[in-house]
Amino acid sequence: MTERVEPSDGTCVPAEQGAKGPRGQAEGTPDEGKGQSSEVRTGKSGLVVEAKGLTRVYRRGAERIRALKGIDLGIRPGEFLGLVGHSGAGKTTLLNLVGLMDHPTEGRLSVLGHDVSSRRRRMDALRRENIGFVFQEFYLISTLTALENVLLPGMWGGADGNSKDRARHLLERVGLGRRMTHRPSELSGGEMQRVAVARALVHEPKLLLADEPTGNLDTRTRDDIFALLKELNEKEGLTVVVTTHDRGLEDRFGRIVRLEDGSVVG
Amino acid sequence: MKWVYLAFKNLVRRRTRTTLTVLGVAIAIAVLYSLFQFQRGYQSRLKDELGALGAHVLVVPKGCPYEAATIALHGGKWPRYMDEGLLDKVQKNPGVAQAAGVIMDAVFLPDGRNVILLGIDEEYAKLRPAWKLRGNWFESDSSVILGTSAADEAGVGPGDEWTIPGRDVTLKVSAVLERTKTQDDGFVFLPRRTLQGIFGLEGKLVTILIKARNVDRTDELVASLRADEVDMNVFPLTELLNTIGDLMASTRVFVSAVIVIALIIGTVGVLNTVLMAVFERTREIGMMKAMGGSRSDIFRLVWAETMLTTLAGGLVGVAVAIASSRLVEAFIRGMIPFAPEGSLIGFSLPTLAACVGLSLALGLFAGFYPAWRASGVRPVEAIKAD
Repeated sequence: MTERVEPSDGTCVPAEQGAKGPRGQAEGTPDEGKGQSSEVRTGKSGLVVEAKGLTRVYRRGAERIRALKGIDLGIRPGEFLGLVGHSGAGKTTLLNLVGLMDHPTEGRLSVLGHDVSSRRRRMDALRRENIGFVFQEFYLISTLTALENVLLPGMWGGADGNSKDRARHLLERVGLGRRMTHRPSELSGGEMQRVAVARALVHEPKLLLADEPTGNLDTRTRDDIFALLKELNEKEGLTVVVTTHDRGLEDRFGRIVRLEDGSVVG
Repeated sequence: MKWVYLAFKNLVRRRTRTTLTVLGVAIAIAVLYSLFQFQRGYQSRLKDELGALGAHVLVVPKGCPYEAATIALHGGKWPRYMDEGLLDKVQKNPGVAQAAGVIMDAVFLPDGRNVILLGIDEEYAKLRPAWKLRGNWFESDSSVILGTSAADEAGVGPGDEWTIPGRDVTLKVSAVLERTKTQDDGFVFLPRRTLQGIFGLEGKLVTILIKARNVDRTDELVASLRADEVDMNVFPLTELLNTIGDLMASTRVFVSAVIVIALIIGTVGVLNTVLMAVFERTREIGMMKAMGGSRSDIFRLVWAETMLTTLAGGLVGVAVAIASSRLVEAFIRGMIPFAPEGSLIGFSLPTLAACVGLSLALGLFAGFYPAWRASGVRPVEAIKAD
């Protein structure tokens, strides 16, 4: 595959080439498969996410707000991508579109090889099976234990017999092996976000999307959570997209897409 | 983990709100259960009591028929009497198989209780084939037969002496009735002439109980008795049953209207509570949809939460109604002119099932709109717009 995606700032990102991490390591290449990336379905371009001329316009009364203005973007399997920018830049809007939670007003969007541009197309199953979400506010159910919270996504559509084992394994993986029966009120902010990360991974997604996952955490906990996401990306080849306005994190991503006023600026 | 478990956990999360909602439903259902059960119990016990009279037609002095029914069924002091001569006339009617004249009076005790005395003869006993005596029929004019409760209260048995409270008259207990589970258990029976003599009611009767020769021709018998004599009220017991039933039915319509209004208010209350909870949980619901929950999953979850709430309300309501049945019964008895003896509000599986079914139906109605609203929440709501 040699198709190239041209970001709106004019910088071409070759699809067949791994993006460089901060340490100059290639990420997401097939030989580094590590379970997740080797199974990821991509489009003809070999991209997990491919957007061309992506525009999202909202109506607020008579006013039309252009939240995204013709964005071009390509995300490769196994990439650790940061969507950065100030508040109102459009990064969450872009994440919503990539996460199949919203439809573009104009432009073409392909996620995991599926053309998802059409508003008429229902994305529930595709999202349920392939995408994991981590939110700024953890949204843990206070009356459920950590383990039960992780099992929550498996409840829809019927969890298989292995889901409990997988949930236990994931909680151990995020360092909460001894906190499985604790309720959210008994966990720290960092621990709650770790539970949320485990919850996002329980159905073995191909793509992990995190919206300001460290926005509610102190610096030390922020670094812990970020290190966890990075580790999941590096060791398991999981494609991770994170939005943040924290400039202190920018150098830790494999690649950064900077947004400003609905456009990619760098 | 099952979604019903999650629905339950969501309710536990908002304990106070859930408790208050359950309480609201419980009150409506408790009132409903009590009313249903009272109506059923009333009709059933009334039939039993009238059946225990062993008669088809009741003759009483002129006056309020409900008062007459109360006196005939429960006994008591009623300052209306018929001439004893009417009994002969009645007995001569070809449609009459048996007729028993009864005189009644009551003695009121200082503690508020009363002792009801019935003056009867052997004809009365023939209307009570189920009676079993521990002892013998009246051995003399100064004999007395006590119902089992009356005997227990007085602490006497066959062969003992019993004095009419407040009167210097001592009688010999010739027998004690074995328990009949009717009003007879509380009565004291004397030879009719003896009672008339003690209370100065010679030649007077309060009731004549009539057993028809042909039950299918009771109406003809009643018509002929009414034509013969104008100084008495003649009631077929079926008519009395229907009349009292009609009286109860008219109150039932009114109380049912109150209950329907209470249920509507309950439904709106539950709807409002669940809808508020849905609005508060918009982001959480968005998270669930982002995590793969479909419209039907969310609809089912919120609907289940509502139905669990109303089901709990229904069960608590029925439990409260059964637990407080004595109190409620005493209250209702105080409000209506006549009620049969025995427990009227008790445990009943059909009534329980009806109330639980109704509470579920309430949940179905009240939960539909909030569940529909919740199912329409978009997953994007979980992510705060930047």
